[in-house]
Amino acid sequence: MDERMIRFISALRAGGVRISLAESADAFQAVDMLGVEERERFRLSLRATLVKDAASLPTFDELFPLFFDSADAQEPMFDATQEMSPEEAQMLAQMLRQFGEQLRKMMERLLRGEQLNQQELDQLAEMAGLNRAQDMQYRDWYAQRMMRALRFKEVQEALREIMALLAKMGMSKQRLDQMQQLIQANQKALQEQVNRFAGQKIAENMSEAEPDDANLDDLMNRPFRALSDREMDVLRKEVRRLANRLRSRIALRQKRAKSGQLDAKATLRANLKHAGVPIEIKHRDHRIKPKLVVICDISTSMRHCSELMLSLVYALQDLVTKTHAFAFIDHLEFISPDFAGKEANAAIDAVLQRMPPGYYSTDLGYALNQFSGQFLDTVDQRTTFILVGDGRNNYNDPALDAFQKLARRSRRMIWINPEPPMLWGSGDSDMLQYAPLCNNVVMASTLGELAEAVDQLLSQP
Amino acid sequence: MNETRIFPSPAQVKNALNGQQYIASDEIATTVFLTAQLGKPLLCEGPAGVGKTELAKSIAGATGRELIRLQCYEGLDETKALYEWEYAKQLLYTQLLRDKLQDTLASANTLAQAADRLAQEEDVFFSMRFLLQRPLLKAILNDTPTVLLIDEIDRADAEFEAFLLEVLSDFQVTVPELGTLAAVHRPIVLLTSNNTRELSEALKRRCLYLFIGYPTVEQEMAVVHLKVPELAPKLAQQAVELVHRLRGLDLRKSPSISETLDWAKSLVALNAKQLDRETLENTLSVLLKHESDLQKVKRRIDVTEKGPRLEDDDRSSRWRN
Repeated sequence: MDERMIRFISALRAGGVRISLAESADAFQAVDMLGVEERERFRLSLRATLVKDAASLPTFDELFPLFFDSADAQEPMFDATQEMSPEEAQMLAQMLRQFGEQLRKMMERLLRGEQLNQQELDQLAEMAGLNRAQDMQYRDWYAQRMMRALRFKEVQEALREIMALLAKMGMSKQRLDQMQQLIQANQKALQEQVNRFAGQKIAENMSEAEPDDANLDDLMNRPFRALSDREMDVLRKEVRRLANRLRSRIALRQKRAKSGQLDAKATLRANLKHAGVPIEIKHRDHRIKPKLVVICDISTSMRHCSELMLSLVYALQDLVTKTHAFAFIDHLEFISPDFAGKEANAAIDAVLQRMPPGYYSTDLGYALNQFSGQFLDTVDQRTTFILVGDGRNNYNDPALDAFQKLARRSRRMIWINPEPPMLWGSGDSDMLQYAPLCNNVVMASTLGELAEAVDQLLSQP
Repeated sequence: MNETRIFPSPAQVKNALNGQQYIASDEIATTVFLTAQLGKPLLCEGPAGVGKTELAKSIAGATGRELIRLQCYEGLDETKALYEWEYAKQLLYTQLLRDKLQDTLASANTLAQAADRLAQEEDVFFSMRFLLQRPLLKAILNDTPTVLLIDEIDRADAEFEAFLLEVLSDFQVTVPELGTLAAVHRPIVLLTSNNTRELSEALKRRCLYLFIGYPTVEQEMAVVHLKVPELAPKLAQQAVELVHRLRGLDLRKSPSISETLDWAKSLVALNAKQLDRETLENTLSVLLKHESDLQKVKRRIDVTEKGPRLEDDDRSSRWRN
């Protein structure tokens, strides 16, 4: 049992759930206490100790039955030939003889209600390439492939044919219906078995997989444009880790500049009038808390990196309480409410779905004017204004005056641009016009540069 | 340290909580049982108003322990959560004891000697007498076992979270002037979070985890029946079903159990016999706390013979270009 649990834990880890050694020790302790006899109780004790994140609960619920459900939980299969009279059996045998060996075997299996044995399953797995699969997402796909390897479709077809023929040959309707039902049940059970097996196999592969973070450095320094889906996945995880690191760093900074402590000098000064007896206690002033306004371009030209940029915005919102986040394509949308109370990926998906790319073009000028009209109250001398975009404005009015007004009103204006400076001003880029109005312009086309930019940003209050 | 078993089994937890008018699912009961057994803090997450805080109160009631509550907010720090020296009292004592101090110091020949004598008396001013105990320290030093509720931890700053780690893992507090104060009895600790921001891994690692979601119709019916027994069962059924459908809509704030209960109470107060349009229009504001939500639901709601019905939600129209 212990070994099974350890495998389960490593499969969970491979599925993206963070489980520390201390937590797995807790799990064992909890199981010691509640026992393994009662399945539900066992499940709950593992869940309470291993999963610390509502977003990871589905992974747990998916993997748990694959590891701890015994095989007899499977749907039963029935023998459709059992109650046949000898003549009927003969008819059937005759029918079956006309098919090739493999098909016949499969049909007999369905009629008799036999499960696949381990050897057959392994063989199927080999054929479907299941042994290298490590992603639960593709479970159904592999199961389908295995069914195809069993020539399931043809078997179904053939069985239908046989049924029709048997009906013609005079088998009773009742008997045929019964057979039909049993075969269907058997089919379902078999499908279930294959699906289960695929899930288990993938879970096992996951538990054996080495954690792969080998070429992360490499990924950090690749442009967003040149990333595959899988690499994006790795990067998304990395962004989250980075955000966490940044958060602890900012917390540390606040701690060193801690407010609310006794200010000895001020106290002495204030109490001179009481002959130096400290009656009035003075504390150090509270530091100004930063406020952020982030506007993110998610138009087509930015689409390849907008997801990462949005995860940055999400992280910032998580870090700095007073953050107002906006996104625009041709007009501005307030996206902070989309982020609140959601997990990063879900939040970003929600925004990208709400603002799909289409046949309308980037218009930063309009978005800026809109901002000045509706949200100007979010900008004051404490606000750091961050614009994420490539400054490609589709030859629309860049609204420089509105931009300048915002830059003057805010504490700092920072622009994060994924394009290298060489391309600024080329084509429809208005970047060269915006750049002089900003306090900082950062080029960030890789995650490494982005992380550096954010860190720099947070270090200057 | 108190090593006696608090609850013999999860089923007992369930019964005890039921006795406190808290309807606990198997999941909640088992997790609470584990929390008590393993002596670890329990982190409760879930939407607002599903009874996270209530759970702590019920555990306190069921075990007969005192509930000590620490409400978190932005800017909460050690002095508010743990302890603080009572400056004013210290000063007052210094003033009142002035003569006595002078007596003590009078016989000193040199300044150094006087300072030494004063240093010997220092303990008087940094003793438990002048220590203002805030919730965390109170929970640790209490003579009888307690239940400590740290409410809405996600509202506190990340640094406060880091500071909590020492308290939660060892149940001890270091006061520089006094040394380390260890727990007399290990309290049952509950942390709640509405998930407005992600908590640190280190904190999560030290806790057990419980996600409390919205209840099923049956569970919610049971809660309504328990807390508002005056409401007719048929009306309660209709009301709960409507609330469940409202949760399926894309609202800014979905109604939670506490809002369902408020609504049930207002239906009783208004002596409503059925959920007709007028009653709904008058009472929906108890359920929905945003004007836009209210308008949206009013537009969709349709009162029929069988009770209120909601039209399906179409979210596609929000983005226009």
